[in-house]
Amino acid sequence: MLKAIWDNIKGLYSLLVGLSITGRYLVSPRKTIHYPRQVVDDEILASFRGPLELTRGRKEPGQTRCISCQMCVRACPGHCLTVIKGDAKAPSRWIYDFSLCCLCGACVEACPAGALAFSHKVYLVATSREELKLDLLADLKARTEKEAPPKNE
Amino acid sequence: MDLSLAIFVQIIVAVLLIIGLMVGNAVVMVYMERKVAGFIQRRPGPYEVGPWGTLQAVCDSMKLLAKQVFLPGNVDFILYYLAPILAFLPVLLLFLPVPFGPILTPLHINEGIVLILAFAGLGVLSNLLAGWSSNNKYSLLGAGRAVAQTVAYEIPMILALLAVVLQSGSMDLAKIVGQQGQYPWQWNIALQPLAFFIYLVSLVGETNRAPFDLPEAESELTAGFHTEYSGMGFALFFLSEYANMLLVSFVCASFFLGGYKGPFLDGIWWTFIKAYLIMFFIVWIRWTFPRVRFDQLLNINWKWLLPLGLLNLWLTAVLVKFLV
Amino acid sequence: MTGCFNFINPLAVTEEPGTTAGDFYTRNFEKKAVPGRIILNLGPQHPSTHGVLRILCEMDGEYIVRCEPVLGYLHRMHEKMGEVKTPWQFIPNMGRVDYLHPLAWTWAFVGACERLAGIEIPERAEYLRVISCELNRISSHLLWWGAFVMDLGGVTPILYAFEEREKINDILQIITGSRLTMSSFRFGGVCTDADERFKSLAKEFIPYLRERLKMYKGLVTDNIILRRRLEGIGPMDADICRRYGATGPILRAAGLARDTRKDFPYSVYHKFDFPVPAGPANDCFGRYLVRLSEIEASLMIVEQALASLPEGSHIMEKAPKANWKLPAGESYMAVEGARGQVAVHVVSDGGPKPYRVKLRAPGFSNLSLFAEAAAGTLLADAIAILGSLDLVIPEVDR
Repeated sequence: MLKAIWDNIKGLYSLLVGLSITGRYLVSPRKTIHYPRQVVDDEILASFRGPLELTRGRKEPGQTRCISCQMCVRACPGHCLTVIKGDAKAPSRWIYDFSLCCLCGACVEACPAGALAFSHKVYLVATSREELKLDLLADLKARTEKEAPPKNE
Repeated sequence: MDLSLAIFVQIIVAVLLIIGLMVGNAVVMVYMERKVAGFIQRRPGPYEVGPWGTLQAVCDSMKLLAKQVFLPGNVDFILYYLAPILAFLPVLLLFLPVPFGPILTPLHINEGIVLILAFAGLGVLSNLLAGWSSNNKYSLLGAGRAVAQTVAYEIPMILALLAVVLQSGSMDLAKIVGQQGQYPWQWNIALQPLAFFIYLVSLVGETNRAPFDLPEAESELTAGFHTEYSGMGFALFFLSEYANMLLVSFVCASFFLGGYKGPFLDGIWWTFIKAYLIMFFIVWIRWTFPRVRFDQLLNINWKWLLPLGLLNLWLTAVLVKFLV
Repeated sequence: MTGCFNFINPLAVTEEPGTTAGDFYTRNFEKKAVPGRIILNLGPQHPSTHGVLRILCEMDGEYIVRCEPVLGYLHRMHEKMGEVKTPWQFIPNMGRVDYLHPLAWTWAFVGACERLAGIEIPERAEYLRVISCELNRISSHLLWWGAFVMDLGGVTPILYAFEEREKINDILQIITGSRLTMSSFRFGGVCTDADERFKSLAKEFIPYLRERLKMYKGLVTDNIILRRRLEGIGPMDADICRRYGATGPILRAAGLARDTRKDFPYSVYHKFDFPVPAGPANDCFGRYLVRLSEIEASLMIVEQALASLPEGSHIMEKAPKANWKLPAGESYMAVEGARGQVAVHVVSDGGPKPYRVKLRAPGFSNLSLFAEAAAGTLLADAIAILGSLDLVIPEVDR
């Protein structure tokens, strides 16, 4: 009986310990990253697997390495890739439905030409499913133009 | 005739001011609660609306005002609409005898604390009605808890206040404040530390705040007695909860912490500083501790606070009788 | 008729006493109920059922007389999907079965297929699997810790737990590429090799978490309110665990030091020295303590594995690709997950797709104990018992 009472009184001390811990955090700096004003370090994002992108060609950076062999399309568990073969080996259309993608990497590992890679886009936002159907060839072209503007004038 | 008319006008003006105080308090408290919670949890809290998120509470209240008042099926609609109003109205009267400043007391009543305790008991009725009329089992359980808890925690609260009343020989809050000095060692907390402790615990229990927030225990009863309320109904419960917190903090400041008296210069600011420090303490413990279980809650009350309160009252009575 | 001032006549819509509301489960449950008692539907949308578990309770006031979990609200046909996909394509599914400890599930499936095909994986890959799986176990336990305290009413600890979880996610992201549904194990190894940054971050993390665990003890474990809430609540002895097939921390809290990593050693676990904590008590608090000491045991394993991480390749040469066919036969692999024994049974007829994939979810067996343990307790205690089982509903329903 007396021991139980003493235990309860000792318990009050544990409450003070808890208060001191939260009180300490109350005055210590915040831990969160305030997104629109701050962004996560690129070092952390470098290993993040975002939506797919086509890698640059070895000779011409604006060209894809894709040979339209359809290996990725068959490997994909979510059926999210559509590759339409164009003239010669190069694809004419390369549609990637990100809404179906589970980012497993089957396509990246299945590709014999090394034409696919994960991007590090964490800020991809869309308001409809249609917007998530990404045209990767156009994306590749846009990236190339952004980094090296066309010189022919 | 003239005298009663003057008092009538005084009460009307006071009630209007108190409504303003309640709304202003809710705005401040919403901001403070969310900011303190955010800082304790190492995140910034409200940030986007206004400078440092100060307009967040205004946005919240606008949202609540504009929201549809939802009426679930099979509710007892008279009681359902009556409950939030009933929660809100008595709180207006509760602030009347509180001495905010040296001359600023809305209404001088000799038995001020009796008025406060009497009308504070009405708050639980609204919880009961809300829980009963909502046609929801969670609400019903929450209402049952609210009644048992509030009724239980009023007793140690009264005992703690009674010890101070015995010591001061008055039930008028203004007189009790007037008897205390400017400095902390002249306040009643120095003479009645046990009563202060009992009052502090039962204050949390009385206002249904965590860790004693069993009527609205969200992980057990989703939202307890106000599960089915939305829009203005919920806002009124919210408002009265914060007003109740403010009231018990004012009473605590007046009874134990010297009210408007403080170092350097007496005045209304000391009342508010002390009351808001107590409110900050309530918010702080809410974001620190887990919730107690229901039987434990009643055990704390009946096995600890009540005997301690009686002991304290008895000791005070003996000391007052033989020493003063 | 739900306008602002559309008063509904309460008399007009009152149900007749003979017609009962509710669905099939409620009506069946109600048949055995004593008249006058409340039938309470805890879930599927309830704050502390962690997803969409539904529990039917017959309540006498605040006391639960009888209760029955109703499952299936998050059934996603993972076993069927295993039969219509090639083994490779099924790997990402395993990350979604239990989103808190996905690597154990991936390991169980990948390991079962490797056993069937007789694939030996490089030692470095085994070490990387152990490290990532143990880090994942820690993050799972941390989230459970926060969510459990949140069930008991303390909202702050879960955000402290997320600080550590974010750090673990940063570490695991380097070798798995994702932060939640990781499925980085491949037939024959793992998909990405560990770099220096991974190793240094993981090494920094170990002393950091040990320091933080002291804070956890002060804030939560020693807290008198929490102890009074948990001590002596929901005892589950070894007998009931055996009857229902409970595994993991629940079984260990009951006093049996059973751990798949020790009893049926797989991978390279036999090389590490780590304790199997068997709890001091079989109540909620015992289960709580077992999980916290498991975090420390996992830290020990990660520390040893990082120190002795061998050089070599992270994946075998000519690792199976997406069109890989399993050889005919069947195999079984059990892995110690954060919630108990995770096991996958693969049957193949030699075709491109497995004939049958059976997933043994520990949460399903652990949940079966709940009805027996929660009968006769207060509603708040039942929530505590439910939280102490550490259920992940997607895993229970699969």
